[in-house]
Amino acid sequence: MTDTTTKKDHGVLYLGIDLGTSRTSVAASNGLRATVLSYVGYPKDVVARKLLQKDVLFGEEALEKRLALRLHRPLAHGVIQGDGKDAETLKAAQDLIAEIIRRAKPRADELVYAVIGAPAQASIQNKQAILEAARKSVDSVMLCSEPFSVAYGQDMLDDVLVVDIGAGTTDLCRMHGTMPEDSDQITNTFAGDYVDNQLAKEIKKVAPDAQFTKEMVKALKEKHSSVMERMEPVIVELPVKGKPTPIDLTEGMRAACKRIVPPIVEGLTQLISTFDPEFQQRLKNRVLLAGGGSQIKGLDVAIEAAMKERLGGGKVMRVEEPVYGGANGALKIAHDMPSEFWEKLK
Amino acid sequence: MPEFRTLHAGDEVHGLFSPREVEELMRVEFARAQRHKYPVVCMAIGVDRLPQLADLYGYESKEEVLRAAVAVLRAETRDSDFLCLRQDDRLVALFPHTAPELGAFLAKKLLAAIKKQRFERDGRQLRVTLSIGVAHNRHEKAISFETLVRVAEEGLSVADQGGGDRYVETELYQLFEKKRKQEELAKERKELFDGLLAVIPRGPAQPVAVPVPGDKLGETLLEILKSLGISVSSFEDLDKDVIAAAISKMADAKTGATSGEVDEAKRTIDMLERRIGKLTHALGVTEEELKRIAAMKNVELGQASIYRTVQGLSDDASDKERKREMMKDIFHANFELKKRLSGHGDAPQGG
Repeated sequence: MTDTTTKKDHGVLYLGIDLGTSRTSVAASNGLRATVLSYVGYPKDVVARKLLQKDVLFGEEALEKRLALRLHRPLAHGVIQGDGKDAETLKAAQDLIAEIIRRAKPRADELVYAVIGAPAQASIQNKQAILEAARKSVDSVMLCSEPFSVAYGQDMLDDVLVVDIGAGTTDLCRMHGTMPEDSDQITNTFAGDYVDNQLAKEIKKVAPDAQFTKEMVKALKEKHSSVMERMEPVIVELPVKGKPTPIDLTEGMRAACKRIVPPIVEGLTQLISTFDPEFQQRLKNRVLLAGGGSQIKGLDVAIEAAMKERLGGGKVMRVEEPVYGGANGALKIAHDMPSEFWEKLK
Repeated sequence: MPEFRTLHAGDEVHGLFSPREVEELMRVEFARAQRHKYPVVCMAIGVDRLPQLADLYGYESKEEVLRAAVAVLRAETRDSDFLCLRQDDRLVALFPHTAPELGAFLAKKLLAAIKKQRFERDGRQLRVTLSIGVAHNRHEKAISFETLVRVAEEGLSVADQGGGDRYVETELYQLFEKKRKQEELAKERKELFDGLLAVIPRGPAQPVAVPVPGDKLGETLLEILKSLGISVSSFEDLDKDVIAAAISKMADAKTGATSGEVDEAKRTIDMLERRIGKLTHALGVTEEELKRIAAMKNVELGQASIYRTVQGLSDDASDKERKREMMKDIFHANFELKKRLSGHGDAPQGG
């Protein structure tokens, strides 16, 4: 923490932070929860600074005023872009973490201990960059595997397969009563951003002259995403040569969303087939779908169908709060961590 | 309440009274409670994440869950309690002869009861929880039914925004009572001014609605005229100027009332600020006391928040030993990472 003048003698505020490529969420032990889109913007020049009256903007506000900003999305594939070697990207990540902690409203006289969820197979440079970014704002910090924190938050520690679909990565983690090891975890990049790219291609197929941005595609996905065979027609309006034109995206939306199913089932197969044969059946029937990507309508049913074909069956459950699932779990870990451990990592 | 049974058919879907019928019944019950000075508790109840449930599993699932939740609430409450469905799928319940502390107990009971239920959709289990706002008529400012419901709904809103699966009692009776009075006063004033303006002749073709001594408007006008030194038995022959003078007098009275209201609001703000000061002090004392007790019991300090139990962060979690082992593993991994990054560090002692 930068402010060392205040005596911190009024206990500890525990934070669980889900640092996501698309959005960053925090759950705090004082009961507050907050989420912000992972965008950070700095005014481009003095004029923009004067107009905006701020040195840094976050989330939707930054996105809205992006034309006057140097806009950063500091995280890619769940970690800080370029391992934090670019100074402004690292600063953006630091500012984003500071902002999400500020939204948890810590008191000046309490210690702040945070657990941050990181992708299961983040490199050591990635982890270093996240820790460096966080240390500016907290007194003690730990990293934890994202899918593990989801499972811990749900109290599902035995024979569960967590599939955490974020924007940058999909993390699969096999829980079997102990801390998952590297062989229990798989990370792939068939996640939200991949669906956005696929959807953009589908739009180009249907309407080659349609004009759109990544943000527009993301918004369309968040509103209409579905892999259901019988889904409501997705008719969207996009500008074609400047004129708003209705486009039928029903098939395109389904096709784009469906493309993440095979890689997920591939990962599930890998984790199930290498598990103790006596418990494989139980593991198959306890697949937990989490993360923002789990909100795709019918995804659980589609995965179940693919599992039936590939593995002879399976049962998929969704977490109820995809946005806060990781943060809630991380908070629970932070709280359950003995205080002497926190002290040693200060 | 056997006399109201005939009204039971209001909401066929949920088997509840219609909102209008129940509101009337609740009003009567509330008035009775105020008259005979017995306690009532009002709850505003919402099923958490109901719209998301509809998005995920369809509108029928939402209806099904709502119906099942109503069944649970009915089973856990008395026949003499009132329950109705309001807009946005929110429920309002009134519990006669129930003290505030029993209200809190009842809210906990309802939260626990709904969690025990097994809701299933397409073979999947759904976890259904409630958010509850609790209000009661024991507060000196809880003098109207509207205030009671508004306070309960405010509590529900706080509980819902806090993540649900909880109940919240607020003490905003004074605020909502004041708002209610202001709304009533504004409505009365508008009626009065509209009435007075209507009696000013505006040309031969315009029909004039003349108040008569005896009705509410007429009585008020008579009072104003009397204060102006004019005695009349009928308004029909009143001169236009006299009416205008009466309106002007009313306008003066209104200005006076406004400045009086400002003074009262200032006094209220002062009082509330003093109350916040006292409560902050009391919170400080309580936290100190909790620290002292924790030190006596030799338990871990460091949780500054009152929300730990609400968030499922209590120390009595199951699997304590196994979880401690996991925590040790996470710590070791982070300690190793720290060592690698800094190039040095003491060996961890473990748990």
